[in-house]
This record gives sequence, C-alpha cells and structure tokens, in this order.
Amino acid sequence: MAILNITYNGLSADYPIELDGQVADVDLKRIAQELVRSGDVPGLHLPNLPVEAFDGFVIDRLQGGTRLYLRPKVPFGA
Amino acid sequence: MRVVILGVGALGSTTAVLCRALDATLAFIDFDKVESKNLLAQAFVKQSLGKNKAEALKAQLLNFYGVKAEAFGVRLTTENVAALVKDAGLVVDCFDNAESRRVISAHARAQQIPLVHAAISGDGSFGLVRWDERFTPDAEDHAGQATCEGGEHLPMIGLLSATLARTIQDFVTKQERRDSMVGLKAVTVTG
Repeated sequence: MAILNITYNGLSADYPIELDGQVADVDLKRIAQELVRSGDVPGLHLPNLPVEAFDGFVIDRLQGGTRLYLRPKVPFGA
Repeated sequence: MRVVILGVGALGSTTAVLCRALDATLAFIDFDKVESKNLLAQAFVKQSLGKNKAEALKAQLLNFYGVKAEAFGVRLTTENVAALVKDAGLVVDCFDNAESRRVISAHARAQQIPLVHAAISGDGSFGLVRWDERFTPDAEDHAGQATCEGGEHLPMIGLLSATLARTIQDFVTKQERRDSMVGLKAVTVTG
C-alpha cells in the first residue's frame, strides 16, 4: 500500500493506492487523472480535468516508494 | 552558527528578513542587481535600486533592524563554492535554476554540510521546503523562464518564505530537519 499525494492548482490531497510493483510516471499520472476526475480523491474533484493537466509534473518517490507525490515542477527561488 | 543563503531574490530576501531575530550570522550570496521590477516581489526597497542584491539586503538589515550580515556579490560556481560556504552551519538554497542547485548539492553532500532547499512553481500555486537528502532539482521549462516579476505571487512567496524561515529556526535551535509542502490551502509537513 502506498499513499499518492496529488497537488493540482494549489490544492493537495492524499489517496491510498495499491500498486503492483514499480509503476511508471506516465501510468501514475494517468491513474491520478482518473482519480481526480471520478471524485475519489477527497477535496480534489475536478470532473473536467484536462487530459494534459499533469504534463510537466514531477513524481517524487519517498520513503521507499510508499509515499508518492505528484506535483508541479518547482524550478524557482530567487 | 553561520547561515548562508544562496540567491536573495523573492524567496531568499523575504526569508532573510524573517530570520533577522535568529541567533546566527546570516550571509547572502547573489550576483544579481536590484531592478525596479523586483520591488514588487522581493524584500528590496527603492533606495536599493541598482545595487547588488546581497549587498543591498545586508545594508537594509543593518539600516532598518540593526542586524549585521555578510554579503558576497558573486555567482556561485564549482570554483568558489568551497570558499563561499566555508564554516557554514547551514546552507539555504533559494536559487532560481537547476544548475546552481546541483553545484551546491554536490558540494554539500561531499562536505556533509546541512543544506535545505526552497522552490516555487512558475504559477505561484505551490512550493516546497525540502532537505537535500530528499531533493532533486526541477529544471525550468526553458532557460531564463520568468516568474513573478509583477508581484502576483507575493502571498505565496510570503507563505513559503515563512515556512522556510521556521525550518531554518528549527534547525538552528533544535537541529530538527523537517520538509514541507506549501499549497494555497495548507502548509503540510511531509517528513
């Protein structure tokens, strides 16, 4: 069991997810898109989420892959 | 403790102001100059226009708050990184490009210097504070990509800078290392 955290448009939510081995980024993004569209992610229900919504997003795999973060790129600071 | 802040634009300058009460010596590194467009999103005032950002921030902290700091108006490179962060008890990365972030990460890992990164998305909706052991720099979509020159992301910059300042404070006072995600609704500690 892993926890997938999805951040979109400044809003974040966790979703517990059962993954069968190592799942590629592109597949995780597709799964996340379906979850957000279907309303399965509490506080993050966007039925019309665009197909390209997670293009350019990054997936962090922390804590041995049990914590997954799908988030926008953060290139800036100064 | 000597706390070295790398890049004192939006996040770095705002964080430095929030760290002014810290029992630490602040040092700023930035090669860039203060431009009028910076006044809307960064902690600089009109009197600092045209000055080097590191020097300007040092002068502002002294003149406004009586806080002494160090300033180095240079670009961080593989050649000067060792000299610039020498004796640092903590390095804080607020750079705006992946290449500079990689330079300081490599040095900090080799020398085992504590390093924390702060980074914000281009649309100003999301930011991260993350310790180096869990950080991978994200590249810009293209070199020189602009962000927040009109100050539209200033509230998020303030929120993320406050989170970073608290992270610095927790490390300086208690040696704690916490990661955070900052969104529009919440600041979430992630590790």
